[in-house]
Order: sequence, then structure tokens, then C-alpha cells
Amino acid sequence: MRSSVGAEIAGARPGVIAALVAQLRDIDLAEEAFAEAAATFLEKGVSADNVPAWLFTAAKRKALDALRKRAAQAKHAADGAQVSEMSNVIQLPEAIPDERLRLIFICCHPAIALEARTALALKVICGLPVPEIARVFVSSEPAMFQRITRAKAKIRKAGIAFELPPRKALAERLAAVLLTLELAYTVAYQDAAAERDGELAGEVSRLANMVAELLPQEPEALGLAALVALARSREAARVDEAGAMIPLSQQDCSLWEAALIEQARGLLDQAAEFARTGPYQVMAAIQLCHAQRGVDGTTDWAAIVKLYDALMMMRPGAVVALNRAVALSNAEGAAAGLAALEELPKDKLQSLRPYHAARADMMIRSGRDEEGRASLSAALGLDPPSAERRFLEQRLGKLG
Amino acid sequence: MQYMLMIAEDESFYQGDDAEKRMEETIGKHMALIEEMEKAGAYVGGHRLQDADTATTIKYTSGEGVLHDGPFAETHEELGGYYIVEAADLDRAIEWARKIPVPGNGAVEVRPIWQD
Repeated sequence: MRSSVGAEIAGARPGVIAALVAQLRDIDLAEEAFAEAAATFLEKGVSADNVPAWLFTAAKRKALDALRKRAAQAKHAADGAQVSEMSNVIQLPEAIPDERLRLIFICCHPAIALEARTALALKVICGLPVPEIARVFVSSEPAMFQRITRAKAKIRKAGIAFELPPRKALAERLAAVLLTLELAYTVAYQDAAAERDGELAGEVSRLANMVAELLPQEPEALGLAALVALARSREAARVDEAGAMIPLSQQDCSLWEAALIEQARGLLDQAAEFARTGPYQVMAAIQLCHAQRGVDGTTDWAAIVKLYDALMMMRPGAVVALNRAVALSNAEGAAAGLAALEELPKDKLQSLRPYHAARADMMIRSGRDEEGRASLSAALGLDPPSAERRFLEQRLGKLG
Repeated sequence: MQYMLMIAEDESFYQGDDAEKRMEETIGKHMALIEEMEKAGAYVGGHRLQDADTATTIKYTSGEGVLHDGPFAETHEELGGYYIVEAADLDRAIEWARKIPVPGNGAVEVRPIWQD
């Protein structure tokens, strides 16, 4: 019971925080007030029909109390009086305007260092805890904490406006906004069985759609929305009854949500009209190729390899190269895949679970069970999330 | 809010053959900018500085000050002048900063002024 209340609070957080920031114009104050309101909600076992509205009203009252205390301490009696009048007005739950989009663009202001922008947005809007953000950026927790604190201070002290910037300035912030959503999406989908991340996945999808609607002339914004829609379309097919992850190629495609796939196709068609391709469009196109199996039972692996080639040009990296090798192993056989794996820099891949899982698959398909077993064990040694661990153990079990 | 717009420029741009002409052009643009700022009620103040080779710096080590002939940091770009503007937020301040003429290499730093 309590855990579902916890999920309800987590689900309400992004919208409530954004609405609070829009009114209070202070991110720290909004976060602190929300935390206090959530604590009160849990302690007192409040029952409310509209949890977000309750939290918003309670948090706002707490924030205004805090402001009044601050004003009193600073002996600014006039400010204090003003604030107290405001707090009397707030009695009933009010409608919460959706300010998340505005907040994400504020956090992504180019006056904040690029990495800090994304980290801040992940913290404030997506509600990701700092340790998780540190993991995404392969950084230490204290360093990440400091980066986020500094970014918040810069917004406050440098007078970064709490307004949605004019249209021409939106595009300048778009890269950071899209990166934020991509990283949040990665976190949300890294664990197939994740219960906590159900909230996050929904939030990322809403935000990605909002950005695409706001900037329909930005093909990469459309590409990211398509990518997220495709991931969502497979949510029901990702885990078996035993709680084990099911890899994409073995998923029951009758469980895929056709409406989301069609939405993604529409977004990509719309993006293609601009003839300005980019990594998100390519990533979405790859996922759309996979979705074709739900239509005619086939997967055009050769096309997927070509798309990974394109992605390598735009955004070279170990993970992209690894995925390309996997596609190649399906297009041309396990031997070709293994040969491609051999060419990759080993030092970077050793710590990646997908590398060991892919290598295991190719080894087993080549009849080299012993090496397959070793790779599966290596993947299991890298602390996989529960659904993936069950999947790896199942495969190991089948090898006997 | 008030912001200081600090202009760092490569001084060598204003040396050599058509130095005078270049300087005249830049100063003309500054005059026009000041007029625009004044009209908008944004101009609080500003000055052009003498070249960096006229600078004297007191360098402190553990509170002990020693005079040094030159600016506080040896860089390719030298602080050559500044504006103080009134602006609603950082973006407005940056808009003004972008209008400052920097025909060669340089940088304009935008900083909020401390307010109590």
C-alpha cells in the first residue's frame, strides 16, 4: 500500500516541481518544499483524490512559510507582509499548469556548462537521484552533486530567466534537451522488469512528445519522440512469466502496441521531409526496422547494418559499434559478427554487459559452447538487473 | 539586475598599418551602442581602458602584496573596457553583450553585479 503511495508521489513529482519553480522562481526552494510536503503526506497518511494538487498546495504553502522566515530574518518586513497575504489566499487545491517543458528549457540554458545542463534537468525534471545521474555520466557522486549545485546557483545568481525563451533560442537549447531525454530514456529502459522506472518511462515519453509538438520543424526532436514511442510499444513484451528479460528478436510481436509503432512511423515520415538526418532519426529508423517483424514476420538485417554504419559516422562509439556487430551477425552469420567484434577495442568493451551477452550468443550459434559459457559468466559477473540476470542464467542453464 | 560586460580583446588588432582606421571604426560602433543603451534605459556606465602595458598589478601571496608590471593574467586577450547595464535577466544582458563590437579575436564576459 505504502509503496503504491510512493509511486504516486514519484509520478506527481515532475509536474508539481515544475509548477512550483514557475511560481517560486527558485529550484532549490521548490525541491525542498516538495520533499517536505511528500514527507507530511506519507507521515499523516493523507487521503486525497488529487494527489498532485494536494502536494502542490502543501508544498507551495511550505515554500511561502520558508520565504517568510527568510524575509523576517533579513528584516524585510514589507516582503514578509506581502508573502503572508499570498499564503492566506492559497487554501484549496488548484489546477496545476504544466510547466515541465518550460523548466527543462530553463535547465538547458547555454550559459550552463553542457554536462551540467543535462544533469540538472535529469535531477529536477525527471527526479533521478544523484547517484543514478553520476552512473549515467560515469562520474563520481560528489562531483555530480557539486555540478548540479553549481548549476542551480548559476541560474539563481546570474539571473537566468524563468521564461520559455523565444522560438529562435529554443533551437540553441534543443541539443541539451534531447540529450537529457535520451539519457533518462536509457535509464528507464535499462532494466526490463524495473518497477520504479515505469514512472520515468512514462514521463520521458510525455516530455519527448511535448518537445516534438513544440518544435515540429526540428527533425531530431521528432526522431527522439519516435525512438521513445518504439521503446514504449514493446513494454508488454520485454519480460516472460518467470521475470526474465526477452531479447527483442525473440519477443512475441503480437504483444507490441501497434498504435505506438504507427505514431513513430508518422513522426519519422514527418522528420524525413526536412532532409536533415541525425542520430535520433537513425536510431528510431533502426527500431522501426525491428518493428517490421510484427507486420510481415521478417527483419531486414542488411538495412539495419547500413543504418548502424550511418550512426557510426554521426556518433562513433563502442556501443554503436557493438550493436552494428550484432546486426552483422544476423545479416551475414555469426562468424561475420565475431570477426567484427574482434576489431573493436577490447579495453572499452570488457566492462559492458551487452558485449559479453552478444559475444556469448555468437559463440553459441557458432557451436563454440565453451566460449559462450565463459562470456555468459562474464556478463553475469557485471551486476545485471534482475530480469537480465534471469535471462542470462536461463541461457547458461540450456547449455548444460 | 545590473550586469558588467567585460571586454577582452587582442590588442594587436589595433596595431600596425591601418590601426587608426580600425580603432576609429570600433569606437564609432561603441558610441552608437551607448546611444542605443541610453535610449533603452539600460546604460548605467562604462569606460575604455588604456592598453594592458600600462597596467600595474599587486600580486598577493599569503596576504603579502608585491607590485607587478603588467595585467593580472598574461593572456592573448586583454581587458580593454567594460559596460555596466541594467537588464531584466541574463538573456537580455547577453543581447547587449553581443552588440559590443569585437572585430578581431576576443571575448566578452557577462557577470551579474552583486546585489544585497
